[in-house]
Amino acid sequence: MLDCEFTEEQRDALQEVANVGMGHAGARLAQLLSAFVALSVPRIRLIQRAELPAALDEMMSFADNVTAVRQGFKSDINGEAVVIFDGEGMREIAIAFGGEEAQDEHDETEVAYEAANILIGACLASVFEQLNCTLTYSAPRLIGRNIPLAVVVQPDTLHWGAALLLEVNFALENRNFRAHLITLTADESIARLRHALDELLADI
Amino acid sequence: MALPILVVDDSALARKVLTKSLPDDWDVEVSYAANGVEALAQYRAGKASVMFLDLTMPDMNGYEVLDILKREELNTFVIVVSADVQLEAQERVRAAGAMAFIQKPVTSEKLLPILKEYGIYA
Repeated sequence: MLDCEFTEEQRDALQEVANVGMGHAGARLAQLLSAFVALSVPRIRLIQRAELPAALDEMMSFADNVTAVRQGFKSDINGEAVVIFDGEGMREIAIAFGGEEAQDEHDETEVAYEAANILIGACLASVFEQLNCTLTYSAPRLIGRNIPLAVVVQPDTLHWGAALLLEVNFALENRNFRAHLITLTADESIARLRHALDELLADI
Repeated sequence: MALPILVVDDSALARKVLTKSLPDDWDVEVSYAANGVEALAQYRAGKASVMFLDLTMPDMNGYEVLDILKREELNTFVIVVSADVQLEAQERVRAAGAMAFIQKPVTSEKLLPILKEYGIYA
């Protein structure tokens, strides 16, 4: 078995840990937007760098352009989180946030930052707390506003061979808003993640 | 006679955590289901006087199970166990017939007061 391959038990544990993290993030988003957030079952895939765009395309059925924010995280386990919003849905919640005047690009970007920050922060804090790891974040950065999904992550710019792709998504009831939160964990961090999952499993 | 209880969750980890959180001296016969379809089959086989029910699952989720239990007037004591910590999620499952709601991850500290409150475990 390759060092980065997960056992069924590890995969199941990671999925459940992510499920709890997603629940926390969803509740924060619901609070922020005064809406009910529908949660999904987290998805996990081990991918090669070149497979990433196809994997994202398959997980996300965006018909139109998207807005994306990325944020790095550091712990024993390092990685990168990206939140990808439905472009049209983003405009809708920008209006919900700031009223009819909040329709310019600047406000939309602010809302994207805020929502991404809440989703990433709440989800990862919960996941890493369950794994008994402390966590620091880098500053969030806008990947782009109203861009095609295909340019959100460009394999040429990535520095890893294989990575673990973890995806959770959030949909607002009665609105178009949809957001996907993905995390990418590569290289030696995958082995550390497996180790942290083994410790969690051994505790039960 | 041992009380038949059913643990419904698609995650093996979650099933294990819940089982471990049950009181040691509680006289129960624990069965498991990984989705809503299996849960209803186990219920019909008499395995679920008490049902611990997850909400987000493939092949029939927890909301659908509650819906069928209610529609067919089936009699089991449902405790929803979910990572969904939205207040509205709790209100919805109670309206759908669940007796109680426990937030994941489950611990015996969260579980015991509920079992005692409803007199399922003395």
